[in-house]
This record gives sequence, structure tokens and C-alpha cells, in this order.
Amino acid sequence: MLCPFLTLILINDQKLHQTLSNLISFLSQLSIKFLILSMTIEDPDPNPPHDHILGWIEDSISYFPTFFDDPYEDFSGDSWWAHTQNLEQELINSTTATPTVTAAPTPTDSIVTSQSIPLDLTKKRKLPDDSSPKIPRKNTNRRINELEQGMAPRKPTANKKGNNKSAGNSNNNNGNNKEGRWAEQLLNPCAAAITARNPSRVQHFLYVLHDLSSLNGDANHRLAFHGLRALTHHLSAAPGSSFSSSSSAGGNTFASSNPKFFRDSLIKFNDINPWFRIPNNVANTSILQILAEQKQSTNLHILDIGVSHGVQWPTLLEELTRRTGGPPPLVRLTVVTPPANDQSINATPFAHGPQNYDFSSKLLGFAKEMNINLQINRMENFQLQNLNPQIINSSPEETLIICAQFRLHNLNHATPDEKTEFLRTLRSLNPKGVILSENNTDCSCNNCGDFAAGFSRKVEYLWRFLDSTSVAYKGRESEERRMMEAEAAKVLINLGEMNERKEKWCERMRSVGFTGELFGDDTIDGAKALLRKYDSNWEIRMEEKDGCLGLWWKGQAVSFCSLWKMDLRVKDDILT
Amino acid sequence: MVMDLDHFPNFSYSATTTTTTTTTASTDEGCHWNDWSPVVDWEAFSGGQEDFHHLIDSMMDENVVVHQSTRPIVHELEYNTLSPEYNTMTDDETNNNEDCKGLRLIHLLMAAAEALTGAHKCRELARVILVRLKELVSPNDGTNMERLAAYFTDALQGLLDGAAGGGHGSGHHYKEEHHQTDVLAAFQLLQDMSPYVKFGHFTANQAILEAVTHDRRVHIVDYDIMEGVQWASLMQALVSRKDGPPTPHLRITALSRGGSGRRSFGTVQETGRRLTAFAASIGQPFSFHQCRLDSDETFRPSSLKLVRGEALIINCMLHLPHFSYRAPDSIASFLSGSKTLNPRLITLVEEEMEPSSDGGFVGRFMDSLHHYSTVYDSLEAGFPMQGRARTLVERVFLGPRISGSLARIYRARGDKEGCSWGQWLGAVGFRPVNISFANHCQAKLLLGLYNDGYRVEELTSNKLVLGWKSRRLLSASIWTSQDSDL
Repeated sequence: MLCPFLTLILINDQKLHQTLSNLISFLSQLSIKFLILSMTIEDPDPNPPHDHILGWIEDSISYFPTFFDDPYEDFSGDSWWAHTQNLEQELINSTTATPTVTAAPTPTDSIVTSQSIPLDLTKKRKLPDDSSPKIPRKNTNRRINELEQGMAPRKPTANKKGNNKSAGNSNNNNGNNKEGRWAEQLLNPCAAAITARNPSRVQHFLYVLHDLSSLNGDANHRLAFHGLRALTHHLSAAPGSSFSSSSSAGGNTFASSNPKFFRDSLIKFNDINPWFRIPNNVANTSILQILAEQKQSTNLHILDIGVSHGVQWPTLLEELTRRTGGPPPLVRLTVVTPPANDQSINATPFAHGPQNYDFSSKLLGFAKEMNINLQINRMENFQLQNLNPQIINSSPEETLIICAQFRLHNLNHATPDEKTEFLRTLRSLNPKGVILSENNTDCSCNNCGDFAAGFSRKVEYLWRFLDSTSVAYKGRESEERRMMEAEAAKVLINLGEMNERKEKWCERMRSVGFTGELFGDDTIDGAKALLRKYDSNWEIRMEEKDGCLGLWWKGQAVSFCSLWKMDLRVKDDILT
Repeated sequence: MVMDLDHFPNFSYSATTTTTTTTTASTDEGCHWNDWSPVVDWEAFSGGQEDFHHLIDSMMDENVVVHQSTRPIVHELEYNTLSPEYNTMTDDETNNNEDCKGLRLIHLLMAAAEALTGAHKCRELARVILVRLKELVSPNDGTNMERLAAYFTDALQGLLDGAAGGGHGSGHHYKEEHHQTDVLAAFQLLQDMSPYVKFGHFTANQAILEAVTHDRRVHIVDYDIMEGVQWASLMQALVSRKDGPPTPHLRITALSRGGSGRRSFGTVQETGRRLTAFAASIGQPFSFHQCRLDSDETFRPSSLKLVRGEALIINCMLHLPHFSYRAPDSIASFLSGSKTLNPRLITLVEEEMEPSSDGGFVGRFMDSLHHYSTVYDSLEAGFPMQGRARTLVERVFLGPRISGSLARIYRARGDKEGCSWGQWLGAVGFRPVNISFANHCQAKLLLGLYNDGYRVEELTSNKLVLGWKSRRLLSASIWTSQDSDL
């Protein structure tokens, strides 16, 4: 059934061309009629009191006093408002000009007016449009579509990944503790999406990370910053390539810092964060302990394979002067610095100082003041695998002590097993003692897990570092902190992060003919006393079983120190 | 970023309307944002898996876009200071900026929604993202996406706070929060800016007119009468049937709600007075009644006064942009109660929400974002120069709608929302009534008066859908419970 107006027209007009277009033309009358009614009353009163659009409410004005008493002050000055009113007037005029559309529908009249009025109307509506250039709209919807399309297939895989991961993390069951660590909630799923090969999901996380990462925010923001850099590096670089051009973007690393600034910052860092200070301290007191065990006074030879960049030794020299019998006749310090190729410098954290940084002369001067006969031998650019007794020129008469701190985890432990091989080399040097300090964490290399698993471990490591530096620097931004953190952040892109839990390290040491030695009470008490000056979230835990000294931050293992001697029951030839 | 609204009461043409985030400046420069997307080595990333490759190829295409648009992020300072009005004269680069920022906002919103629920729930992450979003957007200026994101941010913040505090945070009685002048002005603007309201009213009215051509008495039961503007145009149509049948007597029964206090009851009364006065002024025989819903907003058919010989029409306008939210139970009680009255016609107008792909809070959140961004885009296209007017409509109607709707989605996590009310009507035994050709044409002509982007689509023979571009917004469908064909 047709609408009444249409019926009317059809009945009355015998000669009406019943074409579709005409039908629509007539319908337009109807529609316009409705529209006008809804907007302005067809008011017979020649002086309509108001020009407002909501015509019918206008008619019952008494019910809306506030509405009309308030003359749209906000809008009255607006050109748009005036414009619309004019248009409104125009519309009214156009209808009054053809007042007989429905009342006297002669066919010609109807057709003519019906054509003219829609034209007017189009003009009316187009006017505001035309006065402004068309804006190419942001394709918001398209974007959402893309996003949603990306969402659909990725969900199951992403979830599966997440579940696997959280299952892996469940051994540290302090979920509450993790609540505040939001950056990992973006970095780890992003890494998982990379592993799951879900580009749209990866892109989503990169977007969000980009917006939340900052070098100046709290530890989470900084973690997001470094994490984002590492992820984009991973995505953009061929595996194994270095950080190249953008290496300085996260702040100066050790290698790109001014030597003096580097040294001062490192000393300051050790003063406020025990990350390296405790292992250094344990090493120094252990050296004294081993020295004291020697039957006669011998020369001391320290093989320094570490990351202390010399700052650990002045305290040792001081201690040496205080021991009964005075310092050894000769103290030899052989410092092994890692190869300075691009890849290593950009990837291995804490190992590379500034190019022209040399602590030798300063330390020699200090030793002279202390009346210690010190010799320093720097083996620059040295590949650890090349180590042998001849190279370090050790003699059986001297007390050789190897001090390996945070360097050996960069040795490959898969195929070839460079790590075990190197520990074997250490034993072949016939040291009187070996102090081994390492990160107490699982491996994050490609052989020990997929990218996501390794990345999340590195992120966890970096979180502890950033969290502890936040406390150490009391939340203040500084160049020093930035450098320390940029250096630590290299871990995220380092493919050679082959950490192992301390149990695994101990196993390796034993397997090559070392035997674990308990730390002396002096060492433990000294370390504990020293730790008291640092934040109370740090703690030292002694391991009954293997005698290792563990350094923990907020209930999480950070590193361990261990002391080893040659297992004399084991014959060299068996080992080699 | 602190967006001090008091200092910027006028949004138009003010170059100082936005201050800019300072936190990202250094990040951007440090992050080599530009570097990552175009140089991503997808070869290495893909690990040579064949079937993964085409996905990466498509991603590469996206990346090209991203690259172009991300580059200017560094210049955020510049483009943020442009008011939206200003942007009408911008070049491609600014559009890229906007595009890029819009994309960032969508990603941030999605991430915040994910952080509120799901496997990796992390309230702290949600909090941090919302802080960031508040730095980036304001409901009062910026592009569509920025203003929209501001309301979604507020809504998410409400969920976050509510979840912490105890579960309030739906924008239920939002009308009370705004001055009535604002509400009316916004309603008028909405009417003018978009065909939303008129599309529903006209389609329903045309169907009613067609259904009661020969009736002497017509009785309309209106579920949510609001300002009653729908009936003014119906009366006009009835009285102007000059050569047709005599003007029938029109009786309207408006349902009123006790729940929200005297105020809503009063509004229905006012509407009644206004309609009565209007009917008198044009010579339409008319009477007005109220029928109170129960305290839980359920409908009892027995509380209706029915007169023999009346053509009974059930009118159910749901969730037009300016309407309050009505609980599904209340709507169901009305529609199923109506069935017992054997009405001549049921006119139903409801929001068309595209069914979410995989359900869940995030999926439905994204649907909602998509839906409202369509609404925003269509409003902007209708009145591109009228930022202030749109802002008012958004503040009064859309903002509260968004927060209310997200709160419901959040509470209903996991539950899939039921079918549309139209499907529901079909399922409980109402029979579809064909939309007339005239009615369809009328809808097309109506849309012709607005922007080109509006579409009308006859989805089924008894249902017209109003859409913007490719997205459906509202539908009007007509039904009957009587056996005789109309």
C-alpha cells in the first residue's frame, strides 16, 4: 500500500507519467513535506516568532522557557549558526513559493515544483560543504578494520605463547610483584608474536611501546625504551649484525664515553649500587685469603678477566699493605680486555671501556704511594680462547689467582663448547685459586630457547638492573645513570648471552678439575657489612650446598660468587 | 600534558588550543622510529616459511604507509597546535600526521583494553597507557579520532577505577549531569547534523500511516517517547490527508519509568502537554496517556487501557543517539507483552552493531570503537565546519553512551550479546511486514538531503538499514502479530 500522498497523486492525475523518476519526484514532495514539518512548522502566521529549526517545540514554547530564553549565546556569533538560519529561511521561502503542492496537484505544477525543490534542497545542504574544501578524512575505520583483521588469526597463537611463557615463569610465584612491571607485559608478548610470526600483532606492540617508551621515565619506561630498540633491531637487522649507526641513541655506552667521565661514573655507581661492588669485594678478600694460605711470601699474580676496569684494585692494594708481613714482594696484574671489534663492543655489556681509557698509570702511581711493587700487563684485544701459560708468563713460584667476573658467560656453551674448553685452559694455568662471579640466570641464547624465551630472560635481567639503578640514583635522571643503563641494555641485543644458573657453572668447574672452596668468614662478613650501606632490597644469600655467595635483588637472584682451587686428585692428563 | 580547558574556551582558529607532550620528543629522536618499519628484514623474520610469506608481504605494504606517516611524528609539536578547523586547509603531510596519530591512538586504546582483561591482564599497564592517552587527546578538540579516543579513554579509566573501587561507572543517568538547555541544543543539532533521528521516525511513521489508512481510531503505545518529536510529524501527516479519509483520532500512550524519579515522569508529562497543545493547534483529534512501567522497568500489558476498535501500534525506538540506555529485560518485557495485545504493527528502530568477530571484551571494545568512529565521521561530514556544535553533541550524547556501553561490555565479559531485537521479534513469532516502496524511496530521499556518505539498504523485506559508508548504524524494521496481511 502506498502512502496517502502518493495515492492521492496517483488517483488524481490521470495523465501522470508513471515512470520511476516521476514517482520519485512526487515522493520527494512527500519527503520534503515531512522534513519541513519536522524542522519548521508550516505556519500560517505571516510573522513567525522564531526561526529555530525545532519548529514544533517552538510552537509549544511555553514548555521550554529555558530553552528559548537562552538565545544560544554560544552559537549566535558563529557564522554557521547564522548561515543555517538563512538557509532555513530559504527553505521556508521555497515552500511558500509553491504552497499548493499537495492541495492542488495539477500534473505540470507537481512535476515542475518537485524538480525545483530538491534542487534547492541540495543546494541548501551543499552550501556549508562547498564553502569548505573537502577534507580527505582519516581512514579511521579502515585502520580499525586492519587491526581487527590482524586480531582474528593471531589470538590463538598469541595466547598459547603467553601461556607457555607464564608457565615458564611460574617458578617465581610472586605475581603481585610483577603487577607493577608493565613494560614486560608489552615486550614479552611482542617477542612472542615475533616468534609466532604474527606481523600485525608485532606492529601493534611496537606502536604501543613506541608511545610509552622514554629514557626519562621510571624503570618501566626505560625498559620499554631499550626493549623497543632491541626488538626493532632484531626485526630490521640480519641476525648477528651489530647495532651499527643507532648505537648511541640509547645514551652513551662505556665505549663512547669520555674516559674520565666513565671512570668517575663507574666509581659512583659502585658507591650506590652493589651490582659489581659486592663481587669485586668478595674477589679482593678471597685473594687475601688465598694469599694468607701460602706457606711463604710469594709474588702475587692476578689474572683479571673482568669488567671492573681497574676500579676494584686500589682497595686490594690498600688491604695488601695492611696484612701481616706487608704486601707481596711483587704484585703482577694481567688484565685481559676483550676484542674491540664492532660487534663485540656493541653487544657485550660492561666489558669494553672507552678506547683511550687506561687505568694503569693511575694505579701504578697509587701503588707507588703505597710502596707496592706493582706490574701491570694489559693484554688488549685478547681472544680468551688464546690464553695459555706462556702468554701470561706465569711462573710456578708465584701465587697465580684468576679473577673471572661477568665475562665467561659470553663464551659459547653449545657447539663448540668454548666455555668448558676455556675453564680447562684456566686449570692448565695452575692457579692457586679461581674466583668466578657470574649472572645467576638461565641462558638466553638461540640454542637454549626460541627468541621469545631468550628475550624475556634478558628483559628480566635488564629490569633488575634498571629497577636497582632507579633506587640507587634515587630516581634522578643523570648522564651517569644513562650510561650505565645503556651499557646494561646491550644485553638485549647480545646474541652471546649464554648465562647459566650457578649450579651449572659449578658442575662445569668440577668437571674440568676444580674443587669448590668455602669463602672465609672474613669474606662473607665483609661482604655483608659492605652491603649494609646499600638499599635494603639487596641481600646476600649463602648457599650451604656449594658455598656460593649469592647477591639478590628484591628476592630475585642476580649474581653469584664462587671460589675454586685445583682438585689435586684429578690428573691433568685425564682432563686433556 | 595538561589540557587546561578553562584557558581555551574557544576552539576555533586558535593556534594555542593544544599544548604538546614533552615526553616523547626525546624518545622519538632516540628511538629511530623511522628506521624500523621500512628496513625490517622480513626475510630473516619469516625464517623462510612459505605460507607466512604473503602475510609479510601485506605487512610490508602497511609498513610503507606507516613509514610515510610515522616520519613526521617528530614534528608532533607542529601539528598538534592546529585546530581541526585549521586542518581543512592542510596538505597531505598533515593528513599523514593525523592518520598516524589516529593509528597510534587506536593501538593504545586496544592495548589498554587488553590490559584490563585477558591473559596478560596488567592493571598497571592499563593505567600507564591511559595516562599517555590523556596526554595525547582531549574531548574538546583535535581530530575526530582524537576526540573519540578521549571519550574511550575516560570510559576505560572509569572501568579501571570502578574495578578497583567497587563496580560503579556506567553513564546511566547522564541526562541529569547536563543542563537541560545543553541537552535540547544538542538534540536540535543532532537532528540537523545527521539523519539518525529522522530516519527512524520517518520510516516508522510512514509504516504507521500506511497501516492505519482506513482507521478511525489509532492508538500508539510508545516505549520511549522522549521529547515526542516523532509524533508531531505524524500528526501533520494525518491532518494533511485532505482528500483522503477523515483524520483519525490519535491516542498515544507513553510508557513512563518510576525508576529514575520524578524527573523522568515529569518529562513524559511535559511531552504529553506539548503534544496535546500541538495537536490542538493543527486540529488533530488527540489524547495522551501514560502507562507506568514497574519499578524494574518491566511492562505489564494489563496496565494499558485499550479501546475496542482502535488500531494498536507498538512503537519501539531504541538507543537512538540521544536516548537513554534501556535494559534488555525491560525491552523484552515490552515486546513480549505487546504480543499478547495483538497489535496491528510494531515499529522497531535499533542500533546496528556488527557482530564482533571473536567476542571477548577486546573484540567488542574494538567493534564499539569502530561503530562510534563511524558515527563521529558521519557527523563531521555533515557539518565539517561546526566543531563546537559537534563537541556539544559528543559531550551530551555520545560520551556518556560510550562509557555506558563499555561498562556493560566489561561487565558482560565472555557473554556474547544476544541477537538484535529484530531477530528476537522474529524468533518469538512476530511476522515481518514489507517495507513499502514509498517508504524505501522516502528514506533515500531523506538521506539525499544529508551527506553523500549515508546509505540506506533494504536488508530484509521488512528492514531498512541506515549506514555510513560501508558501516551499518541504525535499522528500522516493521512487524505485526496479526495474521491478515496489511
